[in-house]
Amino acid sequence: MTADLHERARVLIALSGPEGVSHAERSWLTEHLESCASCREYAENSAAAIRLLRVNAVTAGVSLVATTQIRVRERARELQRRRERLWMIWACTAAVTLCAGFTTAVMWRAVAWIGQQAQLSTPVWELAFVVLSLMPTILAGILLLARGTHLADHNGSYQA
Amino acid sequence: MNATTCYFVSAMADENSEVARGLRRRDPDLLDRLIEKYQHRLLRYLVSLTGRRELAEDLFQETWIRVLERGHQYDARHEFSTWLFAIARNLLIDHLRRKQPVSMDGLAPDDGPPFDLPDTGLPSALDWTLRREQNEQISAGLQHLAAEYREALVLRFQEGMSLEEIAHVTGAPLGTVKSRVYRGLSALGPWLKGARL
Repeated sequence: MTADLHERARVLIALSGPEGVSHAERSWLTEHLESCASCREYAENSAAAIRLLRVNAVTAGVSLVATTQIRVRERARELQRRRERLWMIWACTAAVTLCAGFTTAVMWRAVAWIGQQAQLSTPVWELAFVVLSLMPTILAGILLLARGTHLADHNGSYQA
Repeated sequence: MNATTCYFVSAMADENSEVARGLRRRDPDLLDRLIEKYQHRLLRYLVSLTGRRELAEDLFQETWIRVLERGHQYDARHEFSTWLFAIARNLLIDHLRRKQPVSMDGLAPDDGPPFDLPDTGLPSALDWTLRREQNEQISAGLQHLAAEYREALVLRFQEGMSLEEIAHVTGAPLGTVKSRVYRGLSALGPWLKGARL
């Protein structure tokens, strides 16, 4: 009997299970074990090792389970709150975008009308429109920088 | 496939789909049930991998938090337990990476007692002592194996997973899984001599 056959038998013993070994392989293994004492001993040792592995009891304590359940529930609530905040931000963003679009269209027409009344050339009133549109943002930026609340920490220094 | 097999496969698929739907909704009641159902299996797997009860308990909690956060990623075509163990395994690898840049090979045997005793009461002091000795022997034997062999043996014989499921959890090819089970069992044998039932 060659070493390969013993090796094959031992692999089959280790993998034996509902799906690990085919019917034909199982038959071959049974025949082999009948005639090979060393593989039979290996099979017995393996079976004993597997039995020991199966009885190796590690159980989770009640407190661990309870703590985990509490932590999971807290995290679920936190995620829920975050999702609600995110939804609110999206709703506000959509509303602001709509308002901005509407205001821009109205302002465009108003500035064009004023430009025509004042007999200004088109590039001039267009430039005026751009400056007027950007003015609130520029003013807000200047104000925040001046108050030191945007780019500075409590000491007034820049924080990376 | 006969009618009985069909029935069980269908029932299992239904259960997996229900779990997937609940996880997408982040249903806390479902998570409570899942934690209770898989508490021992998950902890046993983590204790076997880490060899340290405290670390295993931390990872146990983190695993369930991750299940909550990533529940929408669960694919109902697979067993929930397979997905759960894969998450636990990834968390352990992340933990080891944070500690030092290593793979699961970093799970070297520890000096302290590797496993705790079972919480359940036992019939007599003698049984209790014998059981404890056996557990210690198995634990010691497992901790002397390389982490990948230990993991394969735990998943195969303690968790009763199929070879394909183990391949799914570990991300290793089927041939590698077979080899790990065979080599792990062969390496464990000598450690368990004298601890026979």
